[in-house]
Amino acid sequence: MRIELQAELDDLEAGFQEAGEIVLRSIRGVIDALRTQDVELCDEVIAFDDEVDERYKALEKQVEMVLARQTPVASDLRLVLAVLHSALHVERMGDQCVTIAKLTKLSSHLGTRQAVVESLVDMGERCAEMVKVSLAAFATRDVEQARALHALDELVDRANRQVFQEVLGYVNDAEALEWGMRQITVARCFERIGDNAVDIGEQTAFLVTGEFAEFTDASHDPRPLS
Amino acid sequence: MEAPRIDSGRIAEVSRGLDRSEIERREKVFSVSDLTVSYSGKTALEGVTLDVHENTVTAFIGPSGCGKSTFIRCFNRMNDLIPGARVAGTVLYHGEDLYGRDVDAVEIRRRIGMVFQKPNPFPKSIYDNVAFGPRVLGMKGSLDERVEGALQSAALWDEVKDRLKDGALGLSGGQQQRLCIARALAVEPDVILMDEPASALDPISTTRIEDLMHELKREYTIVIVTHNMQQAARVADMTAFFSVVVEEDGSGRRGILVEYDATTKIFTTPADKRTEDYVTGRFG
Repeated sequence: MRIELQAELDDLEAGFQEAGEIVLRSIRGVIDALRTQDVELCDEVIAFDDEVDERYKALEKQVEMVLARQTPVASDLRLVLAVLHSALHVERMGDQCVTIAKLTKLSSHLGTRQAVVESLVDMGERCAEMVKVSLAAFATRDVEQARALHALDELVDRANRQVFQEVLGYVNDAEALEWGMRQITVARCFERIGDNAVDIGEQTAFLVTGEFAEFTDASHDPRPLS
Repeated sequence: MEAPRIDSGRIAEVSRGLDRSEIERREKVFSVSDLTVSYSGKTALEGVTLDVHENTVTAFIGPSGCGKSTFIRCFNRMNDLIPGARVAGTVLYHGEDLYGRDVDAVEIRRRIGMVFQKPNPFPKSIYDNVAFGPRVLGMKGSLDERVEGALQSAALWDEVKDRLKDGALGLSGGQQQRLCIARALAVEPDVILMDEPASALDPISTTRIEDLMHELKREYTIVIVTHNMQQAARVADMTAFFSVVVEEDGSGRRGILVEYDATTKIFTTPADKRTEDYVTGRFG
């Protein structure tokens, strides 16, 4: 029994779950900031991203050390690789939150349109749920739960398209259009967070089965883009 | 639509080692079926079936007492030399029964050379060590050329070419082991068996032996027993994991083959839980 290796793997996985919890706070932060158009909260979310980045760097360092010193193989190696990939997805989610916060600040003087804000808040909540599911599936090695992320992501993608359609209606109102175009980017950021959660689900499947396969492959998706 | 311009064949070529189907397309050098070895009536190894393919490195790994050394000794009938040893089952060598009545064990050991854990050069000159086999066998052609060729192949020539008449025992452990490999190569074998060839060597000498295995498999078929799992991971194309079964009545222990597959598979996604436990260090 390799006690030291096991302790390091446990530590690595706990660190990843913690990074996931932290990014969930960022996601909840931007949802609140959107709902209340709170510029100060936006600044807090932006500053908070350093926490996410620190966790990611620490995990990357830890992975490097485990690989160098313990040369894990088989399921141990898959765990290390899955944590490394998944941690990067978490870090990207943090970056998306920063972009959402910045856009919210940037467009706050333009006035809000409730229908779009509601759609965005709805998207954000769905994303937060997906992140939670992805972390839980990873922790319990639940491939079925991980696969379910794909269906949840469809709903996020649908909401993303709704925001786009809504904003198209602003074409005759310059100020609303400027605001709306910023919100399309916000929606796009949430949509990416959803994708990242699916990516973590794919890592869970890899961890359990040893086979990496994308749940969906955008380059072979038969459906039209919009 | 135009075809994509990215050459995906090349990407695949760089990123993978030999896979199992590729290995299995190569000619079978050994074909072992249901092999059981016992010493004085006690079973040491039971029911092993596997094939070894040409121009590959095949590694046998497993805990102490799993029968991996017993098994490798079956490939050149070294067990014949142990009183009370009995081999049942078949070992085909290029399709012929290695244990057949009219098989010449000396000829077998010329074609199937062996290198042991502890370098065992003769207390003779470097030259005479390599020349010994060809002389005994009365092999034709220039002896000097044969000695140089073998030392070249064993990656030792440059270090010893100016002192071929010096005693072999004056060489370092790593050099002595390469000399033993040269000695095995000098009689033009087909297969080289290596039983823990680097376990008595320092890391740099170990690396040279491992590099050598990668080189030698172009011309020879190599079978290696190793305690060092990472060594198997580094050098072998195929890996066989052996384990020990303790008899329920406490009468003894016997080795069995648990899993045999491409090395990549054994060290990434082994099929058997016992293999997984062993390679990840959770057992043994």
